[in-house]
Amino acid sequence: MAESVYAIEVTDMTVAYRDKPVLWDVDLQVPPGVLMAIVGPNGAGKTTLLRAILGLVKPAAGQVLIYGKPYAQQRRLVGYVPQRGSVDWDFPTTVLDVVCMGRYGALGWVRRPGKRERQQALEALEKVGMRSFAERQISQLSGGQQQRVFLARALAQNAQIYFMDEPFQGVDATTERAIVSLLQDLRAEGRTVVVVHHDLQTVPEYFDWVTLLNVRRIASGPVAEVFTEQNLRLTYGGRVSFLREGLSATGHPSAESERALTSAVR
Amino acid sequence: MAIWQILHNLFFDYTLRTVALGASALGVVSGALGAYALLRRQSLLGDAISHAALPGVVLAFLITRSKIPLALMIGAGLAGWLATLWMMSIIKNTRIKEDSALGLVLSVFFGFGLMLLTFTQRLPDARQAGLDHFLFGQAAALLVSDVISMMALGGLALLLLGLFWKEFKLLSFDQDFGASLGFPMGVLNGILTTLLVIAIVIGLQAVGVVLMSAMVVAPAAAARQWTNRLGVMVLLSSIFGAAAGVSGAVISSTAGGLSTGPTVVLCASAIVLFSLLLAPNRGLLWNWMRQQRNRRRLGMELVLLDLYHMAGQHEDPEHAHSLAALRAVNPGNAGVPASLRALERRGLARQQAPGMWQLTAEGRMEAERLSREQATP
Repeated sequence: MAESVYAIEVTDMTVAYRDKPVLWDVDLQVPPGVLMAIVGPNGAGKTTLLRAILGLVKPAAGQVLIYGKPYAQQRRLVGYVPQRGSVDWDFPTTVLDVVCMGRYGALGWVRRPGKRERQQALEALEKVGMRSFAERQISQLSGGQQQRVFLARALAQNAQIYFMDEPFQGVDATTERAIVSLLQDLRAEGRTVVVVHHDLQTVPEYFDWVTLLNVRRIASGPVAEVFTEQNLRLTYGGRVSFLREGLSATGHPSAESERALTSAVR
Repeated sequence: MAIWQILHNLFFDYTLRTVALGASALGVVSGALGAYALLRRQSLLGDAISHAALPGVVLAFLITRSKIPLALMIGAGLAGWLATLWMMSIIKNTRIKEDSALGLVLSVFFGFGLMLLTFTQRLPDARQAGLDHFLFGQAAALLVSDVISMMALGGLALLLLGLFWKEFKLLSFDQDFGASLGFPMGVLNGILTTLLVIAIVIGLQAVGVVLMSAMVVAPAAAARQWTNRLGVMVLLSSIFGAAAGVSGAVISSTAGGLSTGPTVVLCASAIVLFSLLLAPNRGLLWNWMRQQRNRRRLGMELVLLDLYHMAGQHEDPEHAHSLAALRAVNPGNAGVPASLRALERRGLARQQAPGMWQLTAEGRMEAERLSREQATP
C-alpha cells in the first residue's frame, strides 16, 4: 500500500432524512495511523457520518474509499463499535459469545465460531481486562463493562480502521482511561481510529487528529492546527455565549468543560 | 379416563396419535421461532400474521374449491406475508408507528377474511363445511396428510433456523454491527420473518387464526424465564410449545367438542404462569425470597450496630440492653425480636436475662467490620 493513500477518503457525502439535510457535502481525508475525534454539537450529524461511511444509512450522494478502494471491497479492514445503548443487554447470551461476533465477518456464511474464534475472543477480552468475565451473562455487566465488551468485539475483528460511536459515554473514569490507552495502543500499531466524541475538553489530550462537524465539515486535520478558537466558533455558533450553550447541549454542562471551552476559545 | 389409558391411546389410537404428532410439530416450530420474535420485540407481529392469514385460507379454498391442506397453507402464508410487507411499508413511509400499523393491518385483513368466510358459507357448496374451524382450530380433524405437510414445512423452517443460527443471532442482537460486517440484514430479516409466517401457518388448522399468536408468545416468554442462553431458550421454547400443543390437542379431542385453540392456549398459559412464578433468578417467588432475605439481613445488621453503639456509651462492653430500648432506637423496625433471635443463632448476641441483650465477642467484631464497611463505601 502506497504511503500517499488515505486510510479513509470520503467525498461529497450528503445524507438527508425526509427533506432535512443531516450531512451536507462532507469531504474527509484521514491518513493512516491517526487517532481522530469527530466533534460537533448535538444533531451535527456525527453518528450519521459514521453510519454513512459504514453503509448503514443510504446517502443521497457521496462515496467512501478505504485505502483507495470502495468500502464494500475493504470491509474486512474495518471494525465498528456501535453506541452501547443500541442493543438490548438483556439478550440471553454471554460475554464470550458477543465478542465472538467480531469473528463472524471473517467466518462468512453459515460457519460457526469454533475453538480458534473463541481463543481470539478470549485474547481480545484479555486486552480490555475482561477475560474473567467471559462466561458472564451480559445483563450482569455495568455500563463500563458493556463498553469494554463492545471494544473487545471490535478488537476481535482485527481491523486496520476502527469506527467508534461515543465509546466514552456513561463510563467511569477508570474505564475511560483504559479505553484511551487501548486506542493509543491501536494507533501505535499503525491502525486508524475514528471516534465520535462529546467532550471538547479531552480532545487535545486524547487525540492527534480532529474533524469539526456541523452538518458541513467545518475543519479537519491535526489537533494542533485545526482545534482553534475560530473553528470551534464556526462549529458551535458565533459567540462565546453561544459556545457555552452549544457545550451544555452536548450533555457536558459542567464548569470544567466551560473552562476548557473558554481556554480553547482564548 | 386414566392417565395410562390416555398414554395408551396416544400411541395406539390412530386419531389421537395423529393429533398429538401434529400438535407437537406446530408447538416445536412456533416455539423456536417465537423465541426470536420475543427477543426482537416482534411478538405482536405473530398476531398480525395469524389474523391476516384468514382471507388467504378462504381465497385459497375459493380458487381451488378444495381443502387440500397444502393449498390452504400456501394461501394463508401468502396473505400473512402480504400483511407483513404492507405493515412494514406503512411504518417506513408514513408517520404511523408500529403498534398502530399492526392494529390497522390486522383488523383490515381479519375483517376481510370474516367477510369472505360468511360469503363462502352461503355458497351451495358442501365442501366449504369446516372452513370455519380455522377460526378457533379443530385438532381432531387433523389427518395424517395434514401432519405430513406440517412436519415437512416445519422441518424446513427449523433446518434454515439452524443453518443461519449465527446470522440470526447477529440480526437479533446487533443489526447494525451485522450490517457493518457485510451481512445483508434486510435479506436475513426477510428470511426470519418468512420462517415465522411458516411457523404460524402450519398451526392454523389445529389452533386457529385467533389464538395462534399465543403459540408464538407464550412458550418463548416461559422459556426466557429459565435460561440466559439463546440455544437453551430456543430449545426450551420448542419443548414448551410442544407440551402445550400436545396437552391442549389431546384434551380437546378426548373431551369432545372443545375447540383446540383455546385449550392449547390455556395449557400454554399454565406453563407461562408456572415459569413466571417459580423460575430461579427471574421468577417472582425467587425475587420475593431474595427481597425478604435482604430485608432480614439488613434488619439484623441494624440491630447489631445499635447494640454495638449503645454498648459503646457504657464502660462495660458487655453491657446489656432491653428489648424496649432497642425498639426505641429502631423506630419502624417491627422485626427487632426476630433480628435478635437471628443474631443469637449466629452467635453474635446473647440474652443475658429475659429481655436483656448483649453482643458476644464475635458480635462486636462483626459490628466493627460493618461500621468500617459503611465508612468506606
